[in-house]
Amino acid sequence: MTATATSKNKPTESPDGPSPAGEGPIIQAIQVQKIYETGDLRVPALRGVDLAINRGEMVSIMGPSGCGKTTLLNVLSGLDDISDGQVIIDSATVNTMSDRRRTRYRAEKMGFVFQAFNLLPVLSTVENVELPLLVAGVKMGEARRRALEALELVGLDGHAVKRPAELSGGQQQRVTIARALVNRPAIVWADEPTGSLDSETSRDIMDLLCRFNKEHRQTFVIVTHDPGVARRGDRLVMMRDGLIESDEPNHSES
Amino acid sequence: MEKLFGLPLNDLMIALIIVFGIGVLVMSVLALRNRVVFRMGARNVPRRRAQTMLIVMGLMLATLLFSASFATGDTVTNSIRMDALTNLGRVDMSVQSETTDSTGRRARFDEDTFITVQLALAGVPEVDGVAPLLTAQAPVLNPATLLSDPVVNVLGMNPFHMEGFDDLVDADGNALPLSNLGPGEVLISAATAEETGATTGSEVSTFFGAQPTQLTVAGVYESGGNPAGPNSMVLPLAMLQELTGAEGQVTSVIISNAGGPLEGADHTDTVTAAIEPALQGTDLEVRPLKQDALNEADAVGSSFATIFLVFAQFSIATGILLIFLIFVMLAAERKRELGIARAIGMQRGHVVRLFAFEGALYALIAAAVGSVLGVAVGWGMVSIMAVAFQELEFELAYTFNWRTLVIAYTLGMAVTFIVVLISSWRVSRLNIVRAVRDIPEPRSGGRRNLRGLILAVLLPVLGAFLAFVGLQEEQAGLYMLGTSLVIIGVPLLLLRFGLNERLAYTIAGVALVAWWLTPADVMEPITGEMQQGIELFFLSGIMIVLGGVWAVMYNSDLLLKAIILVFGRVRGLTPVLKIAVSHPMQNRFRTGVTVAMFSLVVFTLMVMAFIIHAIAGVFEDTERLSGGFDVSGSASYLNPIEDIRAALQKPDGVSLEDFVAIAALSNNPVNLVQDGTGNEPVDFVIRGVDAGYTEAVTYGFVTMAEEYTSDEEVWQALHNEPDTVVVANYLVPSRTDFDFGDVPPEFQLEGFFRSDPLPEVHVVAQDPLSGTERRLRVIGVTEELAFYGAPVMASQATVDSFVDSPMPPLSFMFRTVPGVDAEAAAQALETRFLANGMQTAVLEEEIRSNAATSLMLNNLLQGFMALGLVVGIAALGVIAARSVVERRQQIGMMRALGFQKGMVQLSFLIESSFIALVGIGLGIALGAGLAPQIVNEISREVEGARLIVPWTNIILVVVVAYGAALLTTFLPARQASRIYPAEALRYE
Repeated sequence: MTATATSKNKPTESPDGPSPAGEGPIIQAIQVQKIYETGDLRVPALRGVDLAINRGEMVSIMGPSGCGKTTLLNVLSGLDDISDGQVIIDSATVNTMSDRRRTRYRAEKMGFVFQAFNLLPVLSTVENVELPLLVAGVKMGEARRRALEALELVGLDGHAVKRPAELSGGQQQRVTIARALVNRPAIVWADEPTGSLDSETSRDIMDLLCRFNKEHRQTFVIVTHDPGVARRGDRLVMMRDGLIESDEPNHSES
Repeated sequence: MEKLFGLPLNDLMIALIIVFGIGVLVMSVLALRNRVVFRMGARNVPRRRAQTMLIVMGLMLATLLFSASFATGDTVTNSIRMDALTNLGRVDMSVQSETTDSTGRRARFDEDTFITVQLALAGVPEVDGVAPLLTAQAPVLNPATLLSDPVVNVLGMNPFHMEGFDDLVDADGNALPLSNLGPGEVLISAATAEETGATTGSEVSTFFGAQPTQLTVAGVYESGGNPAGPNSMVLPLAMLQELTGAEGQVTSVIISNAGGPLEGADHTDTVTAAIEPALQGTDLEVRPLKQDALNEADAVGSSFATIFLVFAQFSIATGILLIFLIFVMLAAERKRELGIARAIGMQRGHVVRLFAFEGALYALIAAAVGSVLGVAVGWGMVSIMAVAFQELEFELAYTFNWRTLVIAYTLGMAVTFIVVLISSWRVSRLNIVRAVRDIPEPRSGGRRNLRGLILAVLLPVLGAFLAFVGLQEEQAGLYMLGTSLVIIGVPLLLLRFGLNERLAYTIAGVALVAWWLTPADVMEPITGEMQQGIELFFLSGIMIVLGGVWAVMYNSDLLLKAIILVFGRVRGLTPVLKIAVSHPMQNRFRTGVTVAMFSLVVFTLMVMAFIIHAIAGVFEDTERLSGGFDVSGSASYLNPIEDIRAALQKPDGVSLEDFVAIAALSNNPVNLVQDGTGNEPVDFVIRGVDAGYTEAVTYGFVTMAEEYTSDEEVWQALHNEPDTVVVANYLVPSRTDFDFGDVPPEFQLEGFFRSDPLPEVHVVAQDPLSGTERRLRVIGVTEELAFYGAPVMASQATVDSFVDSPMPPLSFMFRTVPGVDAEAAAQALETRFLANGMQTAVLEEEIRSNAATSLMLNNLLQGFMALGLVVGIAALGVIAARSVVERRQQIGMMRALGFQKGMVQLSFLIESSFIALVGIGLGIALGAGLAPQIVNEISREVEGARLIVPWTNIILVVVVAYGAALLTTFLPARQASRIYPAEALRYE
């Protein structure tokens, strides 16, 4: 609790990249509870989750449907509020931040990859990728340059002016990854990143995520149903009924 | 109102009720047979209350416009009716002479005719009163107060035959029997009493000739002096006969029909049929006074309703577009559930019914709200009109007829429901798989291509045909419609043969705009001058806006780039701007339709504003409108001023030296026909003008005989050359004729238009008393602004040469010496010629007052047209509300990426702003583009009309329309910003 109080007013870090490894957990969940209330109905989705993820780690979260995986990802990333407990990201207590500060924090430190891609259909590929940079206040020319670089990194340099609808599912997910990484965030949250893809494309996508994790030492938190995907992480967290059932290092080969 | 667009209202109402009844019956049977489908449709109505409210608001607009237009028509009709009823009272008909006497009034006839009429009507149950009547007009002076009433209608009534007519009643409700009047005693109306300051017992001087007659006021009546205007005097018939030297004579036999003041008119035909045999062989005729007055009231009321409806047609068109848009968007919103419904066995017909049920419920509510709100809007409009009419001393009393309310409701309901049915049919044609998986519809398939090809071939062919017919018939509307169809059709045809879509629509759009904006001067050498009506205005709006919207929407990427280039430099605004502008560009159909709505209404507002400003400038030139005179005057026919100049030689408050010019004018009844046409001569009046007029008048001519080179020459010729006339421009047909159901003049020349060089035209005028005929040459057509001119003017010498007993000059025009105050001179003239019943008007004042009235009515018309903007604004609201639902997940993603709440809200507001501003801007640009052409057209007939940019209107339209658009989008935008990212992202 004291740590939370002291970290509250700490200025957020530069978005240029993650801090060097070895400074303790970048993500910390302390007794996190999340209860959904619909009228008189109270549905506990998280029932006191404790979790710590170190900088540069790639953590997979698995569990049956409704166990609270996505909810955990949402509350850790600040997309959702918690009912009780504490979420500390890079020494800053996210759950007590104002919506405005939390949004800015997300823009600076986090990237997202979702199963449904969630690309903006009205923007071209490169425009989708440069969007987080523009939100962060990067100048237009610079943003375009970095977006094109990111597209090149994910192997889509020839598709910059295409609209999402003109791309295959795998290509769309690559665009999502480029968009998630273009800001060089400290943490990338991925919710079922291969859920809509065939096995071969899934493998390509996971190769890509692992490569970035290794090359840039960015922290990856991946929620998945797919044991194949889960095995690619450094750690495997198993959830059941809103609690962490097991949290073990992953010894399988990536 | 009894008629609308020439259709009797009763028939229209019955037809609409039948259509409505059949519609309700069919829908009820369908609902009973498809209860589940009906329930599904009905439950959608309260599903999203805010959206339902917006839909109802959008759907009701057309009904509101109908209802408000009818309300103004009803009010005008009723007010004129009331005015007529007040003046006529229970007098429904009269027997009068067909001929006029030397004073230009209906000739008097033998009093015994009254007995003939009375006998003819004896035993006719539809008649409850017959009386002889002698009328005269005379000035009345109250020597005690020195106040006068220059024109008083004097009624000579027989006290023993007034049963069945209105009693004369004083302010306390007491009857004032004529039989109680002693010698030299009269009754006067409250208006005359007020004007002269006379009360019961006052001695007043009345001028039935050069010498005054002293009369004693025995009472003042509030009502009952019929038929006459508010200023009247009643005295016994015998007394008036003696005073006017008309012993044994009357001017009419008045008849009161059974029933109330209004119902009496119903018996007009029966009573006419009963009298006519008795009048055979005489020069007397039956005049249905009440029926004529009611018909005129109806005609004017219908004309008002028509004007408002004609100008509302753009708004009604945008209202219809909105209904279509709303249902297309509702279908898009429910695409997935409709797809699933189809997948589990729902027929296409069920989908049509589902939407039709829902649409019918919306239409029922919207038409009800619209017709009631229309009544309120109508009330507001009438309140403004009432102020304008006050200037004209006409009182407007707000009325709304239940019949027109029913028509507005059923008409609004019918229009809405037809559009709903068409949209429902379109919606039902969804592809199940694409709907379930929410995949966008592909571009046209093979079958549609064939249909499209046929259409693309037919369109230019039909266009060419219409253009050819238009050219042959010299009809600009038909010609422009035809050529526009060719312009639209050719690129669409080329599209089928591989032309790029963007290029095809850009070519068609730009060409359409350019074609309509081409000045008439450029086209006329090819087409010649063509006739045009109000339909051309409507057509121009539709075509120009269609072209403009195509050109803009198919090149929107350039617009987007320009916007980003200009505003993208603002830090933090770039991502918001990109998303805000990309969405409307992507949803081209809904954006295009909404932009078209705004453009269409703003376009019409701009064109109207330009026209009003162009003409308003002319109204400021009072010197020109008055023809160079400052004061007009009229004298009583009972005591005319034979030689006004001679009379003014002797100074008495006013003298000859106060005036630069004095014109004496006489109005002479003649039978007039255009020579060589074989038409029946009509009763008309030729104004005889003296040299004082022709030398001083400054009115110009729109066309004149070829030997003259200036306006002055024509006026000089009118005076010097015998048997010449000049005619007013409204007696000559125009190529631009905007018909609102106005009553055309009884006499009109044929064979040429007022914009043509004047050919050799002669009219034949016949003196009705002597039968002498004279062939008169038309040497000029006066300009539109010759307000104080007359329909036909000839020199007094010409008139005197064929009219046996020419009328004395009763009208006068004066131009004052610089430094002499016109108002003081006018008052001095009234005092100086009181015995002659001189009534004067200061022309500048009168013109300014009329201009103010006309401006007020024009502004009202513009305000009414601006109601169409509500349609565009509602459309934006619907789009914004729909977008929030549609983009929920995208908003979630944007929030995850770091978009602050305010940025999401801003992106929605910018998006709406973009659509509204493109629409408003396009409307202003297109309106301003067309305005020079229209103003040029006006200036051909109204010299001095010039192009003035209506900045106030432009600013007002931009601020109000844009402000309201922002306000409407504010709620959905706020709703969007409050979407919780985690929840939004959970939706798949």
